[in-house]
Amino acid sequence: MSVIAPNFKLSEFVKSILDNIFWILLILTLIGLPAIQFILFYIEMPVINGELLTPFLALTWLADPSRSIPILKAFMATDLFRIAAFPGFGFAALIAAGTIFVERKMLAKLQLRVGPFYCGKVEGILQLMGDGLKLISKEIIIPAKADKPIFWAAPVLFVATAAAFVALIPVAPGWVVADLDVGLLAVFAVIGFFPIITILSAWSANSKFPFIGGIRALYQMVSFEIPLILSLLGVVILTGTLNLSEITASQSSFPWIIFLPIGAIVFFITMLAELERIPFDLPEAESEIVAGWLTEFSGMMYGLVQLGTYLKLYSFAALFVVLFLGGWNGPMIWPPFPEEIITEGIELGPVTAQFPGLPLFSQEMLNGTVWFVLKTVGVIFFILLPRGVFPRIRVDMLLDLGWKKLIGLAFVNIFIALGLLYAGILGPGGIL
Amino acid sequence: MSSDSDKETIEKKPEESKPAETKTPEKPAVAKPAEEKPAASKPAPAKEEPELPAFEKGIADKIIEKFGEKTTISFVKPDRVGIKVGRDDIHDVAEFARDTLNYDHVDSVAGVDYPTDKEIEVVYHLSSYTDPTLSRQVLELATRAQREEDPIPGNDATKLPSLRDIFYSVEFHEREVFEMLGVYFEGHPDNRRLLLPEDWADLPPLRKDFRNKGR
Amino acid sequence: MSSPTLPPGLAIQKADERIMTLNVGPQHPGSGHMRIIVQIDGDYIVACDPDPGYVHRGEEKMAEYRNYTLNVPHLERPVIHDSCNILYPYVLAAEELLGLEIPERAKYIRVIASELNRCIYTQYWLAIYGIFLGHSTMFMWPAGDRELLIDLMEKMTGARVTHSYFIPGGIRNDLPANFEDVCLRQVNYFEKRIKEYADVFYNNPILISRTENTGVLTRENAIKLGTTGSVLRASGVDYDVRKKEPYDVYDELDFETNVMKSGDSYARSRIPWLDMMESCRIIRDALQKMPKSGSVRVKLKPNPKGEIGSVYKRIESGRGALGCYIVSDKKVEPYRVKLSVPSFRNLIALPHLLIGEKLGNMPSVYWSLNYWPVEADR
Repeated sequence: MSVIAPNFKLSEFVKSILDNIFWILLILTLIGLPAIQFILFYIEMPVINGELLTPFLALTWLADPSRSIPILKAFMATDLFRIAAFPGFGFAALIAAGTIFVERKMLAKLQLRVGPFYCGKVEGILQLMGDGLKLISKEIIIPAKADKPIFWAAPVLFVATAAAFVALIPVAPGWVVADLDVGLLAVFAVIGFFPIITILSAWSANSKFPFIGGIRALYQMVSFEIPLILSLLGVVILTGTLNLSEITASQSSFPWIIFLPIGAIVFFITMLAELERIPFDLPEAESEIVAGWLTEFSGMMYGLVQLGTYLKLYSFAALFVVLFLGGWNGPMIWPPFPEEIITEGIELGPVTAQFPGLPLFSQEMLNGTVWFVLKTVGVIFFILLPRGVFPRIRVDMLLDLGWKKLIGLAFVNIFIALGLLYAGILGPGGIL
Repeated sequence: MSSDSDKETIEKKPEESKPAETKTPEKPAVAKPAEEKPAASKPAPAKEEPELPAFEKGIADKIIEKFGEKTTISFVKPDRVGIKVGRDDIHDVAEFARDTLNYDHVDSVAGVDYPTDKEIEVVYHLSSYTDPTLSRQVLELATRAQREEDPIPGNDATKLPSLRDIFYSVEFHEREVFEMLGVYFEGHPDNRRLLLPEDWADLPPLRKDFRNKGR
Repeated sequence: MSSPTLPPGLAIQKADERIMTLNVGPQHPGSGHMRIIVQIDGDYIVACDPDPGYVHRGEEKMAEYRNYTLNVPHLERPVIHDSCNILYPYVLAAEELLGLEIPERAKYIRVIASELNRCIYTQYWLAIYGIFLGHSTMFMWPAGDRELLIDLMEKMTGARVTHSYFIPGGIRNDLPANFEDVCLRQVNYFEKRIKEYADVFYNNPILISRTENTGVLTRENAIKLGTTGSVLRASGVDYDVRKKEPYDVYDELDFETNVMKSGDSYARSRIPWLDMMESCRIIRDALQKMPKSGSVRVKLKPNPKGEIGSVYKRIESGRGALGCYIVSDKKVEPYRVKLSVPSFRNLIALPHLLIGEKLGNMPSVYWSLNYWPVEADR
């Protein structure tokens, strides 16, 4: 094979990272700081505690941890932070972006090519950003006979529904956007929205290929939702609760996949189908129906649907982790926060910086997050893998699989769970 | 050395080829099959000048025996037999070739325009998958249709009986000959355009009076 | 089969509007440069009308204006991936008309080039077959391994795809020094690689369940429709022009033809892959038996004139029997050149196979016909 990728050299790799850091610092100092100063100079400053908040004072506050950390902690306690940043949208979007990058690189390695390589110098790390910019800058074309309001709304609804799904996932003890007592039912309700959005967008596009794709998506999602729900009933029977946080907490000694492997397998397969991933990507089957229900989307509308798809992928993988792999539970590997920083502060020559209010996150929470992310990434890897291995299956084979085999297996799983419960081995009041 | 001769070919080509083209209408283009018969064994015969290959001769004789005067043998070469048939008998000869001689499909259907004879020749290349003795053989069944100076494809005298009911495989080939040379095949179920655009309004392009631009 | 006892699909409006017409192509990822007008009732195809001609370039007409040598570069354009094979019958026919007897070494080199080209074409075809079934690894692997042989052809002919290597009178240039060793090494590696496709593709249970018993072409229909090449041999007819009517030196080489009985998409997709292994065998054999030195072309007079008469020659290309019919009238240019291409001959099977199938089977059945749209249009 011809050499497209030059041989890996550590020195070049380090150089490219340093290069990037250099340019970031240079741009920040040459443009960023003057810009901030310039803006601060022109805005009217408020008076706080009889003191005029000058730019200087504001910068002092920023630099003084004893003043900024309480503000940060107060912000982190708000719902806005949970929804937008940590267990919610921002965290999920970050993982989704990582997923896209890993998917492309892994698939490339599987297929003996290099994948994204040039953009961003380090193994094409900025390729995703480039693609995003491209999608944003593209023209949005809407078919002339489309039902425009619904057509516009569909991608937004798709992302919103995916984000609602993300909100139900407990990442660490206490860290969940919406801690519902009927969490699992809420998950089923949210999943039930996806086929409706798909068929709405497909119908409103008023075009043949999206229509066929939408109908296929409807068949696929509806027929796989039933084994999906049934396969999770085993876990509910054994834990006796629908609250996802409590389900996770119940797996502190062992994950449910040990006792319910059939349910886990059924759930994994239905998950692939719900996510429209190969081998179940029939609604987007390229060689048959162009791009299925996505055919008429262009520009950032397509980008939004893709974002929603990957958020959905993260949520399903996280749900698998929460229900079968024990969620945040795992041995403590995160080192405890050094006490002397709180009591004595950090001495920087003549200055001693005090950090009242540290640590920002507890040790349990950080440890739980690490385990959760590790498990989720592992599950995402297995979701991505079939794309390089399997061809697409046909719609009749898909329905056959969903309605006959998976539902049967899901019932077997329920009987196993019931047997374990009535034998008194597991469940509320069980031996283990 | 090789590149030199190639260059010569390229350079000389325009001067020689142009007069040759302009002469095409005046000169009888291709020898008619009747004359071709003695000349036919010329190209191959460097090795076997005197006697014709026996097996191929047998095939030709069977056809002559059955149809007599209606058919002429245009050539008999190793593995190739050429038969020329009038337009009225082509159907019967094809049926005979299928049923008795075991030819089971048509390799290709080629139309050749002869403006000087005011005829268009359609050549069917028959071949056989099922009969192992015929696997090397190709039977060229040629027939001629009347040629019109101002063709209205489908609505003029340029017509031939279709062989689709005998050899199913000619379906698309006959459609191609119809659009490329304007030969209408009577009895063909689907005489539509195939390769040319739907709005093609010029002469059928493979006729000799359709000139390529700039040539 | 065609009159459907169909499950109640989604009726759009009225009962007679159940049928939906789909234009698959010419701008569709699953069609190539052609259009297939399919009518579907639910998921079942009830009517199919192939509409080729989007890349018709009038090669046959152009050939009437150029002399026998100048026809070489443009006649290979219909299938640039198989450019040696599409030239082969033309060159053979032209040689018979011009009365040329080509040297023994040139014949062997032609066979090697032809077999290498068959592999290059089949790899490309296989890559697209993979992506038509949604198998992206099978798209990348053959496309990457094809580079090996393209590099080899580049060494041999000087061009990567449009070689113009065969000319009336032999081949254009002799092999480069040390070609035999390089060729042997590359071909051995290539054969090892394509055997690995079985693991990822041909033995894949999803692929087998998807393509088995779909688009079944029976032996009788395959003969009746006059199909050729891999389509014919997948239906159980043992007919390969290389065996049945050996041209050049194929009668001296050792190889088998691959025949499968089932006649479904799976068999049609497997035959070209098996053929590639036979090609590797032929190349090794030819390299061994080839005269190690000698002339490779007969010197041609400038502007040679063909004998009066007509010649029909056929060879086995990557897709099937490829025929060339030349009528000559003792002029510098041929009077008529007709290419009888396998893609055009196999196209007739498409409506027969698709009617009654599900829409999801359309890409696999269509591409298993080994159809190359540009070649069919000429």
